[in-house]
Amino acid sequence: MSCDLRAKERSGIINPIFTCQPCGAQYVSIGIKDCIAIVHGGQGCVMFVRMLFAQHFKDNFDIASSSLHEDSAVFGATGRVETAVDVLLARYPHVRVIPIITTCSTEIIGDDIEGVINKLNNGLLKEKYAGREVHLVAVHTPSFKGSMISGYDVAVESLVKAFAEQTTPNGKINLITGWVNPGDVTALKHLLAMMQIDATVLFEIESFDSPLMPDKSGVSHGETTVEDLKDTANAIGTIALNRYEGGKAAKYLEKKFKVPSVIGPSPIGIRNTDTFLKQLQAMSGKPIPEALVKERGIAIDAITDLAHMFFADKRVAIFGAPDLVISLAEFCIDMEMKPVLLLLGDDNSGYKKDDRIKALQANVDWDMEIIMNADLWELDDRIKNKGLKLDLIMGHSKGRWAAIDNNIPMVRVGFPTYDRAGLYRHPVVGYAGAIWLAEEIANTLFTDMEYKRNKEWLLNVW
Amino acid sequence: MPYHEFECSTCIPERKSHAVLKGEEDDLTTCLPEGHLATIPGTISERGCAYCGAKHVIGTPMKDAIHMSHGPVGCTYDTWQTKRYISDNDNFQLKYTHATDMKETHVVFGGMDLLKKNMIEAFKAHPNINRMTVYQTCASALIGDDMEAMAREVMKELPGTDIFVCNAPGFGGPSQSGGHHKINISWINEKVGTVEPKITSDYVINYVGDYNIQGDCEVMCDFFKRMGIQVLSTFTGNGSYDELRGMHRAHLNVLECARSAEYICNELRVKYGIPRLDIDGFGFGPLSESLMKVARFFGLEDRAQAIIDEEVARWKPELEWYKKRLTGVKVCLWPGGSKLWHWANAIHEEMGVEVVSLYTKFGHQGDMEKGIARAEVGTLAIDDPNELEGLEAMRMMKPDVIFTGVRPGEVAKKQRIQYLNAHAYHNGPYKGFEGWVRFARDIYNAHYSPIHQLSGIDISKDDFRIDKGFMTRQMISDVKLTPEEAHVEGETPYTGEFDCVTHLRTKTYPSDLARSTTAQAV
Repeated sequence: MSCDLRAKERSGIINPIFTCQPCGAQYVSIGIKDCIAIVHGGQGCVMFVRMLFAQHFKDNFDIASSSLHEDSAVFGATGRVETAVDVLLARYPHVRVIPIITTCSTEIIGDDIEGVINKLNNGLLKEKYAGREVHLVAVHTPSFKGSMISGYDVAVESLVKAFAEQTTPNGKINLITGWVNPGDVTALKHLLAMMQIDATVLFEIESFDSPLMPDKSGVSHGETTVEDLKDTANAIGTIALNRYEGGKAAKYLEKKFKVPSVIGPSPIGIRNTDTFLKQLQAMSGKPIPEALVKERGIAIDAITDLAHMFFADKRVAIFGAPDLVISLAEFCIDMEMKPVLLLLGDDNSGYKKDDRIKALQANVDWDMEIIMNADLWELDDRIKNKGLKLDLIMGHSKGRWAAIDNNIPMVRVGFPTYDRAGLYRHPVVGYAGAIWLAEEIANTLFTDMEYKRNKEWLLNVW
Repeated sequence: MPYHEFECSTCIPERKSHAVLKGEEDDLTTCLPEGHLATIPGTISERGCAYCGAKHVIGTPMKDAIHMSHGPVGCTYDTWQTKRYISDNDNFQLKYTHATDMKETHVVFGGMDLLKKNMIEAFKAHPNINRMTVYQTCASALIGDDMEAMAREVMKELPGTDIFVCNAPGFGGPSQSGGHHKINISWINEKVGTVEPKITSDYVINYVGDYNIQGDCEVMCDFFKRMGIQVLSTFTGNGSYDELRGMHRAHLNVLECARSAEYICNELRVKYGIPRLDIDGFGFGPLSESLMKVARFFGLEDRAQAIIDEEVARWKPELEWYKKRLTGVKVCLWPGGSKLWHWANAIHEEMGVEVVSLYTKFGHQGDMEKGIARAEVGTLAIDDPNELEGLEAMRMMKPDVIFTGVRPGEVAKKQRIQYLNAHAYHNGPYKGFEGWVRFARDIYNAHYSPIHQLSGIDISKDDFRIDKGFMTRQMISDVKLTPEEAHVEGETPYTGEFDCVTHLRTKTYPSDLARSTTAQAV
């Protein structure tokens, strides 16, 4: 019985779990109000990411491109950034923030982004846009480093660094959510409200789930303002829910402005949500109210109906964002399931030092593998060719064929989940998320039992 | 020129020559926007890159090859599972994608060893596949890896394998169109003529420029096979790597999407003397004429006519049912490239809809020429549209339905305009006679959706009725028809199945049709 932690042995990727860094930075950019990012690179780096967001949210998000063509690749492309900033500002009068997100191509040709920002600040912005508040922020996300996860982390840090400004203490908590869905933000804000805590939520993305209005006014865009970002330096503390998606910014605020920080665990499942509330209590001095005891009780009631009857010893593989995968594994263990394979999809060397992974290594009493720098072939190959037996797969939609081809039920969770309806609306965090996850797992297993005629009569009585 | 200047684009005057409003007296000499020029940075254009034009549009529909991109992981991930090019071999090409996962160390020291390792690993992972296509990306192009050299080495080390290399980095040209061109030329230069195909008929074609979106290509091949024609290869929907190496033995290249695949047809004509015949699989009229054109080349007119008669008799009454109810519905035809002219006139003539606007993301002036020639007076035609211009055009033209991509479709949704997926289709295929009825069905379902009727009501302001109950689509659509118009013997809504393609894969065709001596036996 052991938990084996290692990196994928192959050099390449067959069916990736993640896309590259600029996507993560673009996800951060759409969370900011009055912000349209310019991705400095080829047009595909934007077009496909916008399509990915549209597939996941079934909504549109605006992101611009510097439209790198051949000549720019040869002669340098900072001129394209200058034009892009001008065109964007001229046509979008509401825009206050323009992150300039680099890609592999523009990092390789070595465009000086800080230099061009400096030039624009002292030239175009002063001359043509005098009196207009515009912030240009460099976000370096070469695609050949890290993944969309680190791209998210880098972008949050770059934006917090660009804006955070110490003035007067605001008595608030900074809550850095990491790469979550609108449903998660709703659930987190509910917990904060129950605790009567005033928080700056980075990023305020509930409105990604926007309405179709009779007056056609519905727009999907984040609500975090420049003022919110500035004010992060004046908080009583920062809680970054995900170590790998926002942890860097929390550390920066601690180091630079002495804002104490707590990083993780992601509040997925009962235990991690308890931890989160305890952290909030410690940071704010506010008690955990009776109403949350009740809410927790409803979640535990729901899970008790399921765990030992249906979930016990079910073998699960989980892939996706590292904080999500680890927290889901912990929650599955609480629900008597056996996570047997965890796939972490990039080469971050920090995973080995992660206490949560160390705890799995030390304490799991069945055979479990954690693969770093993994791809989805690590899953598919084990099932198809190496005899891995699974009862459930948990992960995002790009892994759908591993489930479909191998006849294994799959719960869609994480990003993106375009092959199921409306998942962005449901939380996985908090007690509400625990209920949703447990019941989604149960209903997925039930449907599978019926579809495969595998003791489907069991549910005649329940 | 009757250029149309968008209010949102007055600050970028160079955009003015990219849109025209077709007037009463206009023809192509007086009404043609510029096209295929460099994109203006920051406009939020809808264009993609040359890499995706090569790999995603043309390369990957090939069904029996490993598809690999040499670069960071993003290019691969982003162009995976975003299209519906199916195949008859259980969709291997949809399920698997490969990235060499280039990292900083490879950018500094070169990525050739990495590429070689990847190729070998991939062949090992898929022991039943021994063909591979490999694509350059921005990163591998800029560091200058010699991918052909690595491909040669691997082919030597792994006998029986064959590898195709395509050098179309993302920054090559204003749009995905540059990639279409590069992969066409690379394929004919590197691969055509390297396999001798088995010829089984006296009538042999390549079917070129169809990507088997939801089964389009399989539907078209069914017609050709019913005529006794051997389809040597399909470029590239449902296409087989080795069959495409034998393209040079066809008697005729039958070309569908001239935007993405005319290049290889032109080269096949120059190099092997194979004539090019442009056809059109969309619409009863254009498709009938197209089948007849192919038949005429081989002297098979009787067979074509028999197919046309059978298909028209089966499906025309259903198309008529929809035409009545779609007449006057205003649509924007906003696809990527060639569909703007494939569909412009056919949907007007055969479904009765009014095309109020055309646009193309990556088309050239030639595509616009064909589109505008086929468009009605008053049509707004836009080249390389951007986000704000699209919104302004919607407000100006007030369409009921827009045919476009997934993401722009979401923009339309918020404007209370229904959308149909022009690239991947809603419930296709749309080619073929039955497919054309499916297209009409999808437009009808979009336009007369009861939910769409509800979306316009502001419950806080409007005096809406609560005594009316539900409205079916037909209750909504038939309001404007007389009872005689609404009920014509034989005319019904679509009666086909959800899946109208899979059954074609097990269909058999009489072998005697393949010989010219039996041509009269039909």
